[in-house]
Amino acid sequence: MAQATIAQRFWVFREGANVWLFLVPTLAFFVGYQVYPIFRVLWISFTDFQYLSNEPANWIWFDNYVEAFNDPLMWKSLWRATYFTLMFLPGTIILPLLLAILVDRVSNPKLATLYRVILLIPAVIPSTLIFVLWKWMYNYQVGPINHFLVETLGLFTLYNAPQWLGGTPLTLPAVAIMEVWWGLGYHTIFFLAGLAAIPKELPEAARIDGATEWQVFWHVTRPRLAPIMMILIVLRFGTAMAVIDEYLIFGGFNRDSPTYTWTIFMYDQAFKLGLWRQGFAAAIGMIGAIAMMIVMVILIRIFRPRG
Amino acid sequence: MTVRKEQELILQQLGRRQLANGTIDRREFLTRSMVAGLGLAGVGAVAKSGGIGSAFAQDRPLTPTFYQWIEDLHPAIPAVNANFEGINYQIAPVEGFGIERFVAEAKDGKSTWDVYAGQTPFVEMSAMIEADVIEPWDPYIPQEVLDDMIPAIRDECTIDGKLYGWPFLLDVIGNSWHSGITEAAGLDDTAPETWDQHLANAKAIVEAGAAPFGATFDAHGWRSIAPMTHSLNSDVYTSEGLFDFTNDAAVEALMLMKEIMAVSHPDILLEGASDGGVNGTPDEVAFAAQRVGYYHKYFNAPLRMAQNWDDPKQLRLAQLPKFANGEGSTVFWTTGCALFKHGQNKEKAAEYIRALTYDSQIWKDSIVGTESGHPGQLPPYKSVYAEWDANPPDWMPEFVGLVRGQLNQAKAITNHLFGLQQFVIGKPHWEAYLKGEESDPKVALQNVADAVKAEMDRG
Amino acid sequence: MTDAAITLQGTGAREAVSQDPGWFQRNRSAIVRHAVINLFNLIIILPLVWVGMMSIKSRPDSMRGDFWPRKFDFTHYAYVFEKIDTLPINLFNSIYVTFGTVAITSVCAVLAGYALVHLRPRGGAFIIATLLVSLYFPVRVVSIISIYEIQDNLGLINSTSGLILPYVTLQLAISVLIMRSMFQLVPHEMFEAAKIDGAGPWKSLWMVGVPMVRNGLVVIFIVNFVTAWGEFLLCSTLTNDQVARTMPVVLAGAQGGLGQWSWPALAAVYVLVVTPGLIAFTFAQKLFFKGLAEGVTKG
Repeated sequence: MAQATIAQRFWVFREGANVWLFLVPTLAFFVGYQVYPIFRVLWISFTDFQYLSNEPANWIWFDNYVEAFNDPLMWKSLWRATYFTLMFLPGTIILPLLLAILVDRVSNPKLATLYRVILLIPAVIPSTLIFVLWKWMYNYQVGPINHFLVETLGLFTLYNAPQWLGGTPLTLPAVAIMEVWWGLGYHTIFFLAGLAAIPKELPEAARIDGATEWQVFWHVTRPRLAPIMMILIVLRFGTAMAVIDEYLIFGGFNRDSPTYTWTIFMYDQAFKLGLWRQGFAAAIGMIGAIAMMIVMVILIRIFRPRG
Repeated sequence: MTVRKEQELILQQLGRRQLANGTIDRREFLTRSMVAGLGLAGVGAVAKSGGIGSAFAQDRPLTPTFYQWIEDLHPAIPAVNANFEGINYQIAPVEGFGIERFVAEAKDGKSTWDVYAGQTPFVEMSAMIEADVIEPWDPYIPQEVLDDMIPAIRDECTIDGKLYGWPFLLDVIGNSWHSGITEAAGLDDTAPETWDQHLANAKAIVEAGAAPFGATFDAHGWRSIAPMTHSLNSDVYTSEGLFDFTNDAAVEALMLMKEIMAVSHPDILLEGASDGGVNGTPDEVAFAAQRVGYYHKYFNAPLRMAQNWDDPKQLRLAQLPKFANGEGSTVFWTTGCALFKHGQNKEKAAEYIRALTYDSQIWKDSIVGTESGHPGQLPPYKSVYAEWDANPPDWMPEFVGLVRGQLNQAKAITNHLFGLQQFVIGKPHWEAYLKGEESDPKVALQNVADAVKAEMDRG
Repeated sequence: MTDAAITLQGTGAREAVSQDPGWFQRNRSAIVRHAVINLFNLIIILPLVWVGMMSIKSRPDSMRGDFWPRKFDFTHYAYVFEKIDTLPINLFNSIYVTFGTVAITSVCAVLAGYALVHLRPRGGAFIIATLLVSLYFPVRVVSIISIYEIQDNLGLINSTSGLILPYVTLQLAISVLIMRSMFQLVPHEMFEAAKIDGAGPWKSLWMVGVPMVRNGLVVIFIVNFVTAWGEFLLCSTLTNDQVARTMPVVLAGAQGGLGQWSWPALAAVYVLVVTPGLIAFTFAQKLFFKGLAEGVTKG
């Protein structure tokens, strides 16, 4: 009896060790390069740490948070990020979904591959070059978009053409369009992977039963894509709220620019202003992250698979 | 680990040198670089096969690091490097003016590099000192070099009596115009002396239909409101070293900006498209597209943009206009070299920077232009100009003399932790006047001063 | 089966009633479908065609909005090769780092996803929660300095291989979560059956699990490929030497600062960089979707 228990324990231990073996690679990376930095940021946010200063940092509890909450810029910059997300998120989910459904039904294998390759082109262009491309596209003076509007269509003149980038009210929509363009094929592939997993008999059976295309989509396809859509929404919500490179490049540190979101506010404080008040910047970052998490919980509640 | 890193560095650098000398062919260079870059155990094998094991015995070679654009604009730098055997020349990780890596290393009491070419005093020198990244050049720089610097430039690079930056490339805010456009508008091909004349000419261009727009400038404060203020009065800094936005001269400058905007392209105030909005600005595109007549900015900008013209020779350069009863000053800055406190080879670094900053080929290329570009950046030393005065080279354009003259009055923006940032913080506030959201320029500029103060009070 | 055939089947129930609807009528939905897809293709390709044209325009023409230049200039490509003599190395670095990252992340994600769902470790819920939370942390911006410290302690500054470590983490959380939801779709009984047949957890993962989560793997490949391929900030901070850097960082130097290249030269870089990526992707595409198709037919 006693022997059996030891053997059992050994088994449990072996199984347990085995389980952790599976998790060790992920945890090693994750703890080192994500958890540790997050906790460091959390710790910094309670201090008056200034990166350029050689004075030791002091623990100041919630002073940074109080300062941030009392700063209208904090609220304004959070709203700007939200506004961008509201424009970007629907476009980046709905268009690829539509495209995926269309491409999925192309059965000529050569055409299907060709479409997929074309759609994925933007995904293989490094971000630096994406920004170069769109700064050309949107250029006020000689960009093709304004050239088309002014010279070809004659809708505007050189004196009143739309000012797309650089801190105008059009900047966030323009960046959102760029982002949707960039992720179009990439997200389509997500949905295609999901569609491929749906047995072809299901929608066909529904059609034979007289369901309209919309009904097929809504009752057959959509529920099966829900997990992927969920992942995409969560993922893109996260990136959209925390966009930074695009804003740095297209709006700089002009506080009146709609691109001056909480991420830029944080970056400005952490790496640009004065002695680099990273304690305060960390508090801005934590506030932004917590705000995002609250919305995420709501999103997950809305989109969680029912039943 | 550290040893291997050093080995990789030496290998890579040695490989490149051998490539330059033609002792290895390109293919072998690539193989070696890959192995070194991969950081794999193959390092030893490559070292043996190449017979360069002895390289590891050396101390660390002189290791300068350059801001990428300096290399791009000044193709004669490698020739200077060739005189410094074993130099490990690198490109700095400061894309978009970030000095994070330097600071992080200094906190550990070390530095990968010995000297950084790319420091602009009013932008980052105070921060570099505050973070204990750099140290003064004084113990290493020869007295005659120090004495040779144009006084205003030496002032610019000095804090508390110590020289923290060794000036290299001088940028001066001056005026320029497209002579094809001015000619079509029936204007004389001479520099506008005053702002009134500048404005009148710009209006004439638009009225004659010679170009859609008359004049432009770069809306960033250190390139617009500061030099325009200096052209009236350069004594506009507070006792703590900040730009005095409430000064009458600044008010005049702001009103002038608005007048120029009336004959300029509508996107003039927008942020640029690279380096955090600071470069790739709309004024550059308008000038490059030959749509605007007059343009005042540091000379590098019109020179670089004119290379996109049908005939780049139509570019004219001159000193900045002044207010009728103004001082006639302008703003300049140098991009110079900083000495890392925790670097090595400090004497060697001084020797190198001296050779670099006096190199006549670099200056000729910079002024005349080469295939790689036309920076138009000028030397910081009196003796170089004196030499040109004494024996004028046949390639010497007129604007260099004009600018040298103005350098006697020109002034750099005073060094301060907020030296650059005060203009970034203030921009939206003075633009409220330029956009017509605030009718009183004095109120707008008071808001600028308040905003800067509020930001400083945070710290 | 052709497209038209599917369409016919799909709408057959009602359309069979109407007599001889004509070619257009019969193929209407296929035509609309291809038209919509091609409209999007056009939107993707047009900007790139514009860039391609830019790369062969003379400099004055690059500063005019017109699509067709007055004068062609083909010298920009030579300029690019001359200026960035390390371009092949940088390209190699990019490929190496990207594939390293994709491989390591995929292995981590498969192992962790499997373990979290089917081995049910204690603390699994906590791990999942932490992964989720990390998605919402702008770790990247604030963590660059901690990451610098870690890399420095590991002696990995200026090492191309060293870049793989932080790169793996960039999309690790999402990859694990994707794998977790994929493994949730695999019935636990399948692993139980494998266990009864005498397979250990490793073997049953390899034999039963991996074939079932192929689709998810494709997604993970792409997510990580795109991230590592375009990464800029970490690489520019953690490496010093042009030969140790990846392509995007080297290219960034050409587009910023006072040395900003002329637009046609930048456009030439564009073409040179996008083309190999495109070719590589055409082949990778085939593999990905072959895997997908097999996954579907077998599943």
